[in-house]
Amino acid sequence: MNIPLGHYLILAAILFAIGLAGALTRKNAIIVLMGIEVMFNSAILNLVAFWQYKYFAVPTAQLFAIFAIAVAAAESAVGLALVIAVYRHYKSVDVDEMKELKG
Amino acid sequence: MNLAFWIISAVTVLGALLAVSLRNLVHCVLALILFFIGIAAHYFLLRADFLGTVQILIYVGAVAVLILFAIMLTHNVTGTDGPREILGVKWWSGAVIAAALAILLKKAILSDPLAMVLPAGDKAQSSVAEIGRALVANWVVPLEAIAILLTAALIGAVVIALEEIQKSR
Repeated sequence: MNIPLGHYLILAAILFAIGLAGALTRKNAIIVLMGIEVMFNSAILNLVAFWQYKYFAVPTAQLFAIFAIAVAAAESAVGLALVIAVYRHYKSVDVDEMKELKG
Repeated sequence: MNLAFWIISAVTVLGALLAVSLRNLVHCVLALILFFIGIAAHYFLLRADFLGTVQILIYVGAVAVLILFAIMLTHNVTGTDGPREILGVKWWSGAVIAAALAILLKKAILSDPLAMVLPAGDKAQSSVAEIGRALVANWVVPLEAIAILLTAALIGAVVIALEEIQKSR
C-alpha cells in the first residue's frame, strides 16, 4: 500500500468536519449525538493510521483506540438515556426548545 | 490497495454526509451504519483486524441499535420526515464553521512533512494475540477502570431513563 499518511489524516479531518456540521446545524438531539459519534470515529481513525504508519511494532495505539471506543459507547448510552429523559419532560427532542436553564 | 482506499473513503464520506443531512431519522441511522462499516473497512485496510471487528460489533451491533431504540422511544415509531432545516441561518453558520475547520486542518496537515510518510511495517499478521497479552499485562489497571466506567454508565443510563416512572408510582 503506498497511500501517504496525509491522505488518512485529511480523510479524518473531512469526516470530523461533517460530524461537527451535523452537531451544530441539526435541531434533533439524537442527530446531534450521531454527529458526535462521527467525530469520535474520525479521531480514532487518526490513531489507527498513526499506528500503522509510525509505530507498527507496539500495539499501544490499538489499545488506546479500544479504550476510546469503550468510553464512546458509555457516552452514547448515557446520552441517549438523557435524550429519553428530556423527551419525557418536554415532549420534544428539539435542542432549541431546551431553554429552562437559560438566564 | 490504492483503489480500495479511494472507494472505501468515498463510501465513508457519503455515509457521514447522509447521516447528518437526511430528514427521516431512521434513514439517518441507516446511513450512519454505512459510515461505521466504512470505518471498519479502513481498519482492516490498515491491518488492525481486531479493531475492525470491534468496530462492527460495538458500533453496528450495539450503538446503532441503541440509537434506533432511542428514536422509537422519542419519535413517531416510523420516523416521519422532520421539518426542512437546511439553508436557514443556523445551517449556514454551522456549515461555514465546519468548512473553515476542514480547510484549516487540511493546511496544517499538508504543511507537515509527516503527511508524506509511507507505511512502516509490512508484516501481514494478526495483532489479536499481541493486544490480548498487553491488555492483561501492562494495561490491566486501565482495563479495570474501563470495567468500572461501563458498569457505572449502565446503571446511570437505567436510572436516568427510569426516573419519571418511579416518580409516578
